[in-house]
Amino acid sequence: MRRLPFLAVSLLFLAHTAALSAPPAKDEGLTFEKHVRPILKAYCLECHGEGEKLRGGLDLRLRRLIVQGGDSGPAIEPGRPADSLLHQRIDEGSMPPGKKKLSRDEVALIGRWISDGARTAGNEPKEIGTGFHITAQERAFWSFQPIRRPALPQVKRMDLVRAPIDAFLLARLEEKGLSFAPEADRATLIRRAAFDLLGLPPTPEEVSRFLADDRPGAYERLIDRLLDSPHYGERWGRHWLDVAGYADSDGASSQDPVRPWAYKYRDYVVRSFNADKPFDLFIQEQLAGDEMQGPGQDRDAAAVERLTATGFLRMAPDGTGINRGDAAAQNQVIAETLKIVSSSLLGLTLGCAQCHNHRYDPIPQSDYYRLRALFEPAYNPKDWRAPPQRLISLYTDADRARAAAIEVEAARIDQERLKKQEEYIDRTVSKELAKLPVEIRDTVRIARETPAAKQTPQQKQLLREHPSVNVSAGSLYLYDQKAADDLKSYADRAARVRATKPVEEFVMALTDGPGPAPPTHLFHRGNHDEPKGVVAPGGLTILEASLPLGVPQKAPSPATTGRRLALARWLTDPRNPLTARVLVNRFWLHHFGRGLVGTPADLGQLGERPTHPELLDWLADEFKAGGWRLKRLHRMMMTSTAYRQSARRDPSKEATDPDNRLLGRMPVRRLEAEALRDAMLAVSGRLNVRFFGKPVPVRLDEVGQVVVGIDTTDSAGRPTGKVIPLLGEEYRRSIYVQVRRSRTLAMAEAFDAPSLEPNCDRRNSSTVATQALLLMNNEFLLEQARAFAERVRQEAGAQPRAQVTRAWRLAYAAEPAPKDVEQAVQFLSEQARHFSSRPQEEALASFCQALLGSNRFLYVD
Amino acid sequence: MHTDPMRCTRRHFLASSTLGVGSVALAWLLQQDRLLAESSRPELERRTFDLTPKPPHFAPRARAMISLFMQGGPSHIDLLDPKPQMAKYDGKPFPGTIKYDNAAQASSKVLASPWKFHKHGQCGTEVSELLPHLAGVVDDICVIRSMHTGVNNHGQSIYALNNGAILAGRPVLGSWIVYGLGAESQNLPAYVALTDPNGLPVIGVDNWSNGWLPSLYQGTVIRPQEPRIQNLDPPPHLKGPAQKRYLDYLATLNRAHLDSHPGELDLEARLSTYELAARMQTAAREALDLSGESEATKKLYGLDDPLTREYGTRCLLARRLVERGVRFVQVFTGNQTWDHHNAIRKALPAVCRRTDQPIAALIKDLKSRGLLDTTLVHWGGEMGRLPVIQNDAGPDRVGRDHNTYGFTMWLAGGGIKGGLVYGATDEFGHKAAVNPVSHHDYHATLLHLFGLDPKRLVYRYNGREQSLLDGQPGRVVQEILV
Repeated sequence: MRRLPFLAVSLLFLAHTAALSAPPAKDEGLTFEKHVRPILKAYCLECHGEGEKLRGGLDLRLRRLIVQGGDSGPAIEPGRPADSLLHQRIDEGSMPPGKKKLSRDEVALIGRWISDGARTAGNEPKEIGTGFHITAQERAFWSFQPIRRPALPQVKRMDLVRAPIDAFLLARLEEKGLSFAPEADRATLIRRAAFDLLGLPPTPEEVSRFLADDRPGAYERLIDRLLDSPHYGERWGRHWLDVAGYADSDGASSQDPVRPWAYKYRDYVVRSFNADKPFDLFIQEQLAGDEMQGPGQDRDAAAVERLTATGFLRMAPDGTGINRGDAAAQNQVIAETLKIVSSSLLGLTLGCAQCHNHRYDPIPQSDYYRLRALFEPAYNPKDWRAPPQRLISLYTDADRARAAAIEVEAARIDQERLKKQEEYIDRTVSKELAKLPVEIRDTVRIARETPAAKQTPQQKQLLREHPSVNVSAGSLYLYDQKAADDLKSYADRAARVRATKPVEEFVMALTDGPGPAPPTHLFHRGNHDEPKGVVAPGGLTILEASLPLGVPQKAPSPATTGRRLALARWLTDPRNPLTARVLVNRFWLHHFGRGLVGTPADLGQLGERPTHPELLDWLADEFKAGGWRLKRLHRMMMTSTAYRQSARRDPSKEATDPDNRLLGRMPVRRLEAEALRDAMLAVSGRLNVRFFGKPVPVRLDEVGQVVVGIDTTDSAGRPTGKVIPLLGEEYRRSIYVQVRRSRTLAMAEAFDAPSLEPNCDRRNSSTVATQALLLMNNEFLLEQARAFAERVRQEAGAQPRAQVTRAWRLAYAAEPAPKDVEQAVQFLSEQARHFSSRPQEEALASFCQALLGSNRFLYVD
Repeated sequence: MHTDPMRCTRRHFLASSTLGVGSVALAWLLQQDRLLAESSRPELERRTFDLTPKPPHFAPRARAMISLFMQGGPSHIDLLDPKPQMAKYDGKPFPGTIKYDNAAQASSKVLASPWKFHKHGQCGTEVSELLPHLAGVVDDICVIRSMHTGVNNHGQSIYALNNGAILAGRPVLGSWIVYGLGAESQNLPAYVALTDPNGLPVIGVDNWSNGWLPSLYQGTVIRPQEPRIQNLDPPPHLKGPAQKRYLDYLATLNRAHLDSHPGELDLEARLSTYELAARMQTAAREALDLSGESEATKKLYGLDDPLTREYGTRCLLARRLVERGVRFVQVFTGNQTWDHHNAIRKALPAVCRRTDQPIAALIKDLKSRGLLDTTLVHWGGEMGRLPVIQNDAGPDRVGRDHNTYGFTMWLAGGGIKGGLVYGATDEFGHKAAVNPVSHHDYHATLLHLFGLDPKRLVYRYNGREQSLLDGQPGRVVQEILV
């Protein structure tokens, strides 16, 4: 099969009436700009106005050009849709060509616009030039407007405004005659805050300390304490790793090679969050940490950290280690990297402009390649480096000298081994020869000693008839296991010597060069085999006037072009309207369960509009004004009245705001896969809180389920039954479990862990029977339930009531009601009857399992 | 390029009733699940993954398949590909070139088959005396004597027959078929692997790997011992009343929680997922319970004979699963069961004795129930054996080395012409010589029988459309079709 150029297939023409033009209100007149052009842009402009060629001489970019028409005459007769060529062609479906046609609603809407007189909203521009044209309407789109700090709105219930965000939310609620829900109780608040900031449940001791703190500011102190915890970075780092598409393997091929050094980037992210690194710096380091290093500077710890940060740009799936020299695979690495950058930081579906002008947003195809040009000095198609070639050693000169000296010693052992090997082979051949009839021994021996190229046909035949004399280093063990073992002892010795070299660590980094920056071409229909004109590096055209992306004309140092640093500065420029909005929307999403823009990776035409645009802008401005520091923002959001609301639904609000878009209560949220697994480990007492380092491996068990563990299958892929103990590593937090793209931990996958192709902008939260069965029968669950029960017995003794209370506090961070205790104690005594051995223990484990699988444990109020 | 808002979960939505992908071993359980999350954006290039029945590309002949995989490589020249000409070379040097796997034990002496062949059935297909039961159903099977994969070790050749490439990581045939067609059962896995108590075959769990297809399409293992299906049943001491009492208590907890969260549909839905789980447990238990089978049926499969009981049980299970709507069933023999490098004179009859009767019973049973017409049955391993001796240490100890250049498999039912012999090896059975059939041809033919066009059964991965044949030439072997 011919390899399809990347994305050529996805030229699939996709259109969505609802998103393209809002259904007109009854009394609203239809206008070209608002109602018609978005449809034409989605279906027609590629050939009629914005493409390379103008088909049929017809330009549909302006109303007057449509009236003027093309080779077949005027395209519309205002007032008479039936006589309008444009309407006829779309109505009968002969246009556009291809499978994707306008919907009936869209055809009808254009018909109505024509019969109403084909009006425009304003005066059309006199000059429009050729090709891609950004309309005034598009320029006015919300997310491209500068971020302005709105004044706080007036509300009736000023007493409910604890934080500025409350004013924005309350104003909208009051408009609808609603208000905030009552404050949640303290036990609920500490559990909510702990999961939000740490991804772990509070311990019973933390809960009682908080409940007992009756001085003013107890809640604020709680938030500060949580923000100071080093587990904070693990929780919020994990959120960032989703959008970065973090993985410990390359993906993009069936082999899915492991990335042994990716974890350094993961650790960098965790540390950065813990340090509350300003986000503008965090972004600059990730996009251009290498370029922030001055020329000639020594590589100190800070420089290593910045270099490690560029791992962000190495997270895309990369098949070029397997398919070396494959231009399509290389192209895909760049495309996926652009997708990660644009979905995580720009909030635009830039990838849609890879093959053609964006159908919905004002992004011409050339913009895609301008941005791509920023990365090509590092991802150079003319001088490609496969993943291993991009690793940067952290060896010092002293390390290198020491390693070389050790290598000399190891090489000496290798030499001894080779000599010994030759002796063994000779000896074995002699033995095999001795088994042959005397008269042919010498002939066979001579044949064997003759180099293959010089053997006569007779000699070759002779060796075929006596294959057993063809002894090689590889087959020696089949004849003489002792000799093979001896040779192996030499190899082992050499390996032991080599193991004494200083440990060589690497970082997965992205760096420019070597060599000059390649020219970047626009690809016809996104096909890398069809390069067109050269495109200069730059930013988005739509922002060019307000915030040009200036790329250094001359490389600032021989090592780098400074292009990515220019991009990083452009993104973090306070005037950039997108970055801060995208970021605060994401933070909001993780606290309130849903972004102010419901589509966090798309703030464009097809994305949702913000539910609270002023609030979003206020937050974005506040974030920048506060030095791009996230902890400050957490504190403000979490101490608000909005965040402290109860999650209980109020029937009186359901009719007005059934989806809780106005946030008149907190949503009930299910724990994400990692938080759920970590919470189970925390409650069972097994959690190993060690930070950082190499990932805990995953393996396939005997039925093919992905579990934590070291792979012990033999060379033929069969289970050996051998178990290599992980010594507690198996109980580390989920962020430290290897993210192998082809092997998502079964437990995590069931609870919606992302599949990284290339990244994840939003987690799903499903409710499926698979989860029920895992909670009922999975070995991990049963093991945690047993450990939990054991812990409860140790901490609470043998008395059932005490056990129930302790377990309840551990699992739910709450006190059981008397009825809860009654029911649980009754369950323990009844359940014990079902077990013949250790009935009390088994019943308690069963009770603990019920707690771990219950909704109260799985969800956060 | 269009981003799908839900793509990073590979869980996708179908209006209000939703089917998705879940944990590996349990993914099949999702087909009745309902999800309550909503998609807030218009659907862009949505890919929906589920196990509901899908229409094939054209009218199919087969609706299910049972693959009896003989891992190790049965000696075709001792079982189904008689070479009487070899008798005169017996013990003499092989007149040609041979590639050995094990050079140390290699010999160039020809080993003529120690077993006799006879013609059977109306068709007169010749079958070795080692397979007396199979001999009774030859009119229903098509013997292909010209298989070849050309890669001389177990792992690579198994990969070739399973996923079309000689490497790990790609989806296997069964995964492709259930991806294309879904399953007819709503409460059982779409694709089942029945493993042998003597251990997993070479390449282990890759034998039923979904590769980069969503894990929903991975084979679900039914193990020979408890717990039969991972995650479906608890360990024995928690089974039955203990689990029921635990579930009752859990429901009490969840109902109390729901009472304090009125209107939270997600919490309510979770209660019903437990009911669904219970239904799946019941369905699987029923399918695995042989007590309702008649004595005659049990006898037919050899369940009354300690030597055939184990394999017969799994063949009978395969029939029950297919009968209940499972699409694809693999019945494995244990690790290297047929890899007769040594002592073939003793070992080969023994494994034939264990498997021959159950296999013939499966054909007869499917036929008498009217299932054979739509159920493809496959028998074969990843290779055959060489015509020469390995381990020339006396008649009792000789064996045969690997041969992937020419070997035999057979197909029956599901649109395959019975009573046919197709293709031939050379006079020593070493290489496929007449009408050779590669693993690609085999795959093209099977997909065709399922009504699937190999070029249209594609999955987008890594920036391109991938398929089982992956651009390799694969011919539908029309000559063996009804």
